[in-house]
Amino acid sequence: MKDNVLMEQKIHEATYQKYLNGLVSANRNLCYEIVERIMENKFPIPILYESLFRDALYEVGRLWEYNRISVAIEHMATAITEGIMNQLYSDIINPERVGKQIIVSSVENESHQVGAKMVADIFEMNGWDAIYLGANTPLGELLTCISEFNPQLVGLSLSVYYNMPCLEKMLRQIHLDYPDLNVLVGGQAISDAKDFLTASYSNVTCIASLDELAQYIRSQ
Amino acid sequence: MNKEQLIESAMALKTVKPETLAELSSKQAHLVAKINQTMLERPDIKMLVGENNLEMMKDNHANHAKFVYSILQRPNAQVLVATVLWVFRSYRSRGFHQNYWSAQLNTWINIFKQDLSQETCDDILPLYDWFIINIPHFTNLSDSQLEDVDTKH
Repeated sequence: MKDNVLMEQKIHEATYQKYLNGLVSANRNLCYEIVERIMENKFPIPILYESLFRDALYEVGRLWEYNRISVAIEHMATAITEGIMNQLYSDIINPERVGKQIIVSSVENESHQVGAKMVADIFEMNGWDAIYLGANTPLGELLTCISEFNPQLVGLSLSVYYNMPCLEKMLRQIHLDYPDLNVLVGGQAISDAKDFLTASYSNVTCIASLDELAQYIRSQ
Repeated sequence: MNKEQLIESAMALKTVKPETLAELSSKQAHLVAKINQTMLERPDIKMLVGENNLEMMKDNHANHAKFVYSILQRPNAQVLVATVLWVFRSYRSRGFHQNYWSAQLNTWINIFKQDLSQETCDDILPLYDWFIINIPHFTNLSDSQLEDVDTKH
């Protein structure tokens, strides 16, 4: 192996800690360099996203909760992560297109968007055209977008439980306007809601991880 | 009382009527504005929330109203307990006094009695009684977690 950055398709603990320290100390260049070094080995993007980006951002959230960092540092860590994800575009784009489209968005009022961006990227890697709308998309705007692009699928991300009523409002309206359109839902708050969402909405599939997402895409 | 016992006690909370949810939703903005105003008028407010934390307190009130609505609509004892513990840790770590919780919750109850129908009050007050009864348990659990982190740093 070239170096000890990778360990059987896992991010080395020391690398993770170095990246996390870079995130919370505003050392954007260090974070970029670490990811660049990992990607020299053609590391799988879904594992990079979950084991480095997601886990580090969850830890940043925990550090905020315990008042170890300010909300400004938390926002900066998110911005650095999104910047790096944009830099990975050449690793994500797949020349073989499958001729299918998905619209991916965070739920109305939901301010977290990194998870939705990850989902959009995984679809792009699998040859789909992913129309990524970002955070807090109002229901009316989402419906306009669906009408304009006529996608095969819609993906909605929910991070905090108190936005569950917004998610359900969106699911009801999408089903009413587009009864045959399937909707994927994912995000930190979905693990607590999977049972009632799948029982209540016949067109909804709950996705718990990027691995589960990849399996879902392969089944389409 | 530990976390599992709190979850078990939360499971005993009853579901609420659709009319209750409708009234809460239609009056949510008004209720949040009123609790902000009432709490800000308290002479001891800075002792309760700490210096420079008034905006954070207002965020808490807005998030509280949204969360209570969502948990009444889709009850989930695990989410309820985990979220309250998260709130206690986040706010206690920033200097909110433990008396803030009872002050806030009692203020919500007074406002509900003034501004909501009797039927809606009857439906939602068991949840607020549960919040208030368990303040000492949530404080102990969250403070011990904060102390654990402090000792490790």
